[in-house]
Amino acid sequence: MVKMLVPYPENCTGCRFCEMACSIYHDGKVNHSDARLQVHRRGVKIDFPSVCTHCVSCDDNCCVLHCPVEAIKKEDGRVYVNQEECTACGTCVEVCPFGVMRMEEKAFNCDLCGGDPTCVKFCPMKAIVYEEPKPEQYEKVKNLLKAEEGPQ
Amino acid sequence: MKGYTGKILKVDLTTDKSHTRSFDEKYARKYLGGQGFAVEIVFHAVPKDADPLGPENVLAMAGGLFDGFPVGTGGKVAFAAKSPATGTLAESIMGGSIGPELKHAGYDALEIVGKAARPSYIFIEDEKVEVIEAPELWGKDTRETPEILKRKHGWDVKVACIGPSGEKLSRIACIDCDDRQAGRAGLGAVMGSKNLKAIVIRGTHDLVPADPRGLLEIALRYQKIYEAAPSFVEDTKYGTGEFLGWVNKEKGVFPTRNWQQGVFNEREKIDPYYWAPKYVTKNKACFACTKPCGKLFEVKGGKFMGVAIDGIEYETLYSLGGACGNSDVESVARANELCDLYGMDTISAGVTVGFAMELVQRGIVTEKEVGFKLTFDNASDAVPKMIELMGKREGFGDVLADGVKVAAQRIGKGSDRYAIHTKGMEPPAYDVRGMKGHGLAYMTSTRGACHLRAGFYAPELVGKFWKWEGIDRFSPVNKGYMVSQTENFMCVYDSIGLCKFSRGFYLIAKLPEVIKAITGMDFTEDELLKIGERAHNMKGAFNAREGVLRKDWLLPQRILEDPIPDGPSKGSKISVEEMNMMLDDYMKARGWSADGVPSPEKLSELGIE
Repeated sequence: MVKMLVPYPENCTGCRFCEMACSIYHDGKVNHSDARLQVHRRGVKIDFPSVCTHCVSCDDNCCVLHCPVEAIKKEDGRVYVNQEECTACGTCVEVCPFGVMRMEEKAFNCDLCGGDPTCVKFCPMKAIVYEEPKPEQYEKVKNLLKAEEGPQ
Repeated sequence: MKGYTGKILKVDLTTDKSHTRSFDEKYARKYLGGQGFAVEIVFHAVPKDADPLGPENVLAMAGGLFDGFPVGTGGKVAFAAKSPATGTLAESIMGGSIGPELKHAGYDALEIVGKAARPSYIFIEDEKVEVIEAPELWGKDTRETPEILKRKHGWDVKVACIGPSGEKLSRIACIDCDDRQAGRAGLGAVMGSKNLKAIVIRGTHDLVPADPRGLLEIALRYQKIYEAAPSFVEDTKYGTGEFLGWVNKEKGVFPTRNWQQGVFNEREKIDPYYWAPKYVTKNKACFACTKPCGKLFEVKGGKFMGVAIDGIEYETLYSLGGACGNSDVESVARANELCDLYGMDTISAGVTVGFAMELVQRGIVTEKEVGFKLTFDNASDAVPKMIELMGKREGFGDVLADGVKVAAQRIGKGSDRYAIHTKGMEPPAYDVRGMKGHGLAYMTSTRGACHLRAGFYAPELVGKFWKWEGIDRFSPVNKGYMVSQTENFMCVYDSIGLCKFSRGFYLIAKLPEVIKAITGMDFTEDELLKIGERAHNMKGAFNAREGVLRKDWLLPQRILEDPIPDGPSKGSKISVEEMNMMLDDYMKARGWSADGVPSPEKLSELGIE
């Protein structure tokens, strides 16, 4: 069974520890904008994590399809950016519906920490769970993100 | 110097100029961060006899040493200034994300001086620092304000702001960030007096610890310890009110109806074991907190329909609940929400309403003067109504809007007999007549009656803490020494920015490992406690210079004269002799004069100039 990060917005407290843990695990420093997942807080009622779904829930595999130099591949159900082929054009960052394709010198995304995700270890409230993909949970996050764009 | 940005940003609102100064490792080792930095800034920058609400007062804000790094519950930020409530150097700590954001912007601390000509806010985006006029924000509440500012600057900025109470210079006004508050000592009014509505920050710089792998390993180890602890379940299910039933029923020190009783008989109705399953829709956390005590409390029907708050905290269940005889938890939630929106400290606001209710009960204030039925048995309606008037400074609300001490001066007629405070600050939810060391801590706290300067409620209620066992809460013996020690201890946590609810997990001997992973610097337990002692002595020296001496520290008459009338602590009070004995012991333990002045030898030993 392939496992993915599954977000549970109703459990998220908005503490953003997962962002810090992700950033420090991968880069040895803390920078929230480099975290491979993003926590959103809107007012007192809404907190939720947005995670890389490795396009299990994107019908058209947005980043893979839109990359103009085909640097983004999907293998064994995982999306990754070939760092040598990436031209840092930013297209994938723009099209990712979850806002978790990130960019420094090159584009990068969640690598599931090689199968033992760090973010999950620091989420005792189970707002991010490593389990069988649940499309309905990804839909929830998509809708929350859409609501963010609209009038408040 | 890893783990620090090494910079302090100073913004002068009068001249609209800012500049950055650097600090070295010596400074970091002396003050550590957070409260330590904020207290150092205020101590050296505020002139003698400064008007707390004048442009000469200085507001400091500093992220704790742990802020921005992955340490569970380590995201606290400290504010400090000369308090308009107490006239002392007072700090207030909160769990908002503004502290870590300041560090990502490249500053360990922010020093705000002067006064803007018109309502303004400070906008910091890394090296870019602006004071922006925004008269349209004046009058907006603490939810509208960040909403407007985020629309303008982007949803990722962090905002600390005041509500209308701060603008109207209410001495119980707080500073809000992310629905969390630096509540105590009226620091919101200091912002208001400077025409400063908000601080808006976007920080994009990296924070680099000395040992990233080691730090992550430590964080994971503690995460497992947190999750295995019984308090984890209690905090995440019921929040800080979890021990209300125990304090009330088993210990009998839950101050009720303006401290006329120590037991609230309608306790069940405000106990989270009752209300959490019904009203809590999810958990909320401060920045970096992985054992969240915050709760989203929503009221979905009835006369308070629509209320949604991060709460209700233990202290608020007392102040807007038991202290006002209010057993309607929906009303408590509404009053809490109003305090948050107007930007008032819930403890001080609630205690002040309870005080006014007792004055009505005793006929010192009439229903006609108040304009409605401000009584304990009408609390459900009366408490939110009074809070709203205080927020607006309308009618009788204007009399109460500066807390009990000022209200008693305005009302006269012997009302000060019922004003419960020390140094002008209303006390938290522990009836110290049955916890004598904690009573001493209400006096010695440099910012007025406080449970978190010494945190002495825990040792006395549990009976053991840190290096002590068999602590008798009814005894005044040795409390002077112990309180002086726990004050130093707590100053360390406020400087590193770790939540005090984690002090049991990270007892002081365990901190050097974490500090080393972040900064690379070695500290011993004694060195850390020395830093705490230094911070406390700076506050003490500042307060003595301002003429706040032992005579101004004393407990209110009720605690010295009226024993607790009922419950497990029945008959207990702190006598004048006990009070004086504890104070004498404390001064001796501190190396201060009997009047409460730190000795020149002590200050020199601690390197305070």
